[in-house]
Amino acid sequence: MAQISLAPAGRQLRSIKIRAIGLGVFITGILLVLVSHLFVLQVIKGLEYKSRARAVARRELPIPAQRGEIFDRHYDIPLVVNQDSFAVDLIPGEVPANERPLLFEKLSGVLGLPVKEIEEKVPPKFQHLYQPVEIKSGVDFETITYLAEHLEEFQGISWHNKPVRNYLGTGSLAHVIGFVGDISREEIQILYNRGYSFGIVLGKSGIEKQYDQILRGKDGIRYRIVDVREKYLMQKSEEDIPPEPGKNLVLTIDRDIQQLAEKALGERIGSVVVLKPATGEVLALVSYPTYDPNIFFTDQTAEKFNALTLDPSFPFINRAIQSAYPPASTFKIVMSAALVEEEVFPITKIVVCTGKFEYGDRTFYCWLPKTGHGPVDLFSGLAQSCDVYFWTLGDALGVERITYYARDFGLGRISGIDLPGETAGFVPSPEWKEKKYHIKWLGGDTINLSIGQGYLTVSPLQLANLVAMVVNEGKIYRPHLLKEVRDPVTGEVTEAVEPEVIHTSPIRKDTFEIVKRAMRGVITEGTAKVVITTEAVEIAGKTGTSEVGLEEQWHSWFVAYAPYRTAEPEERVVVAVIVEAENKWEWWAPKAANVIFQGIFAGQSYEEAVETMRPWWYIQQQRELRAQREQREPDDRSGG
Amino acid sequence: MRRVSLFGIDFLLLGASLVLMVIGVFFIYSSGVTSTGVVYSREYVRQIVWAGTGLILLVGVMIFNYARLKGFSLYLYGFMIVLLLVTLLFGREVNGAKSWLGSAGFGVQPSEFAKIATILFLGTYLIGIGRGVMELPRFLLGFAIVCLPMGLILLQPDMGTALVYIPIFLVMSFMAGARMRHVLFILAFGLLTILLSLLPAFEKMILGRELSILALVTDFDVLKYFLASLVLVILLAAWGNFRFKRGYFYWILYISVLLLVSNLGALAAARILKSYQIMRLIVFLNPRVDPQGTGWNIIQSMTAVGSGGFWGKGFLQGTQSHYRFLPQQSTDFIFSILAEEWGFAGGVLIFSLFLIILVRGLRIAYTVRDDYALYVGAGIIGMFFFHVVVNIGMSMGVMPITGIPLFFLSYGGSSLWTALIAVGLLLNINMRRYRY
Repeated sequence: MAQISLAPAGRQLRSIKIRAIGLGVFITGILLVLVSHLFVLQVIKGLEYKSRARAVARRELPIPAQRGEIFDRHYDIPLVVNQDSFAVDLIPGEVPANERPLLFEKLSGVLGLPVKEIEEKVPPKFQHLYQPVEIKSGVDFETITYLAEHLEEFQGISWHNKPVRNYLGTGSLAHVIGFVGDISREEIQILYNRGYSFGIVLGKSGIEKQYDQILRGKDGIRYRIVDVREKYLMQKSEEDIPPEPGKNLVLTIDRDIQQLAEKALGERIGSVVVLKPATGEVLALVSYPTYDPNIFFTDQTAEKFNALTLDPSFPFINRAIQSAYPPASTFKIVMSAALVEEEVFPITKIVVCTGKFEYGDRTFYCWLPKTGHGPVDLFSGLAQSCDVYFWTLGDALGVERITYYARDFGLGRISGIDLPGETAGFVPSPEWKEKKYHIKWLGGDTINLSIGQGYLTVSPLQLANLVAMVVNEGKIYRPHLLKEVRDPVTGEVTEAVEPEVIHTSPIRKDTFEIVKRAMRGVITEGTAKVVITTEAVEIAGKTGTSEVGLEEQWHSWFVAYAPYRTAEPEERVVVAVIVEAENKWEWWAPKAANVIFQGIFAGQSYEEAVETMRPWWYIQQQRELRAQREQREPDDRSGG
Repeated sequence: MRRVSLFGIDFLLLGASLVLMVIGVFFIYSSGVTSTGVVYSREYVRQIVWAGTGLILLVGVMIFNYARLKGFSLYLYGFMIVLLLVTLLFGREVNGAKSWLGSAGFGVQPSEFAKIATILFLGTYLIGIGRGVMELPRFLLGFAIVCLPMGLILLQPDMGTALVYIPIFLVMSFMAGARMRHVLFILAFGLLTILLSLLPAFEKMILGRELSILALVTDFDVLKYFLASLVLVILLAAWGNFRFKRGYFYWILYISVLLLVSNLGALAAARILKSYQIMRLIVFLNPRVDPQGTGWNIIQSMTAVGSGGFWGKGFLQGTQSHYRFLPQQSTDFIFSILAEEWGFAGGVLIFSLFLIILVRGLRIAYTVRDDYALYVGAGIIGMFFFHVVVNIGMSMGVMPITGIPLFFLSYGGSSLWTALIAVGLLLNINMRRYRY
């Protein structure tokens, strides 16, 4: 054995040496390649991998920002607040499988939730999940206190703050304020780029939707470190980004006037707009029927919501801005202005109303067809709302000039109020009719248009704006609901909405003087004389009754402003009321306006205003109530 | 040979091994600690026990003259083959491979020890044939010696451990003076076989479409004609080589046989390997194919290593490891946790220690004027080298995940004992280098 080793051939020895060196070089070389790769990985690309390692273990949890509150113009009591509420979470991984039934039973008792529902939310396959699963939201503070005191019995239970929106007696303000809800799949597609994500709550309608960006604030971020099972390991609070609370909104709405208008309209399908023509501030915006936005935060949300959507009177529609109706006789304000401006004939010209108007081969009947209004000029014509006078005028003006003035008064386009879904109404034109119906615009269409019937439609807000233009002698301010934005902590005004002129009419100021005088005449000696009984203020306005094809039932319009004469135009208020034809015919619009003006200018509530004026419908109502009571009392006695 | 060393022990080699082992215990401890500092695994204690017993084994191996092993290497080898067969029949399945013998608390992996036995027996064979290793039949017979345990381990199936036998054979036969063309043939055969067994999965998972040219080797209907024609070419070339003794006939023969056997090898591999083993190799090419599944290990390991930076995050401060994103931290991915916590500096330390072991081992083997010592030493070096390159390369994402441990560092008694026996053998050889 030794000989073999001792006598290697010289050549072989050299060959072994070469091979050994070769092997050594090869080994060293490969190891160097590995070391250089390690260098690339750790030193050159180190930062990249460091951030990757951070990312793999870091989770970002949103800290919800407190949503801003909403106030009326008095800025004292909020209309909407965030109510403290909690959501209870369970970390399934922290509950041993054999303790699940007992825990679920106890939880069911505390939360008032069937065990089955808890089991559905935390199925056994979540056994190794270390992420919190929300079991119930809308849990009150007492329950949380109980859980906190008995925490050792409730393994894996935690909770987080999840405030719900509480709409405090908003009443008819529901349409203005709107409501919030969980973001939908469709909404996220639109809003994704503006920083909205799944699982957030956002405004669905009204002010809540319009100013969602201001109200919502900015969610903060809580960073958590998790291990591979998604179990939270520790909290690095110094890195957390605190949430920025949403700003508070102060509306132009005056809740006293809102309530006044709401009660004045009563339970009649229709709407009321009260605004300040000098600024465009909306003081009240009522639409009936309304709904309670708090239903969205109850246990039976789905049922109630379905019931409301199926309601044939469409409670979700804000009729003040989203419904358009033929303006009827209120349109005669526009016609009067057109006459004065265009001077197609002198305003003193007398038109004799016989109760009918022959046009071509058709006969149109005035609303007082039997006797007619007799000889009328502009003032008496508007006061009596004489159709024959305005037909004569319309015929003389022609459709082009009528639609020109209709548009000049802001009809046919949205006003730009800060609420979503405003309707533009409609101003017809001969071209439109031909395109749509393939029928020529006829003289009869012009006749209809002259008294605000036919294709022309306006929203109550547009009508209020129309009167505002008369009041402002040619200017329309953008109607708005937002007065100012305030800091939620300091209460400081961070943004105040300035009045903005959206339209300036070329109509001369003198023209408006005449129109105003004529509108005053409507109240002093015209159609509204019997119903406008308030002595608190001088009113100028116009009634309107539009036919919708129902027997003995009409849309009832009344649009007016007050005070007629004033040294301070700032204090003027425009009121527009519509009571839809579906209601029992009461000619209610001017009656409602009567109470509203009384209330505003006498500083009275609805009840006080009615009591002060004692209008005949009120006396009649009281009499009926008394009769009913007397009828009941003998029954009661006999029953007792 | 005027090196000063007490009792002829190579303290550099021994020292490097001991330091690696101690570092290993530290990081096995680190891998068993949660981010909150709770020690949930007692693996490090068991590793210390194995280290202690392993050192006794090392001393035991050092005591008797290695030359006497020549006599019993055949029995040792035979015993290990039987043990592997028993494992295959009665072994315990861990991670999909039947590689364990014994109960849960105390088990051994015969495939680890079989490496040493094979090295010893192959060494005996190589000195027996002497320069005959240059002849093809004797060379191939030597290859058959490693193929037997390798095949049995492949059947477990544990591809990583099986593959170690190839570098063992290559390095040993290389040092024994085998022809380079033969050595390269085996190397090329190994690489081609792996490549060919991957092709079908590669087409499906990474390419996403079928290349018609690859049908030649992936579609069996086509492949059988290809193989048949190869056989024909081989027969013609063999005849030509025999008849005319022209060099080109030889090389045509060489390449044809290479293609034939690698294709056959790939076909066999497709039968034996489980789909997850193929996936491991595929995700190595592109971990993004299955980031949550098989690719997870590579991605997490690379993230752990890369995020360590130059100085590392500090002992017990690793995030990838302590948040348990890194799988199998104490065994396969022990280097990843080390690189995360000690950074590039720690990595270089590990490389240096292994380089010391390899270079000292090579030096010992080469300076001893005994062919048996040379071959055994070369086999041990080949084994160590392969484990280091494949395991660390795996942690860095440059080698596929094959599940072979990093000697000295990885948790596990069998692999630690194997390493210490191997070092004991090297020290034994070094101590007896003058005794002729």
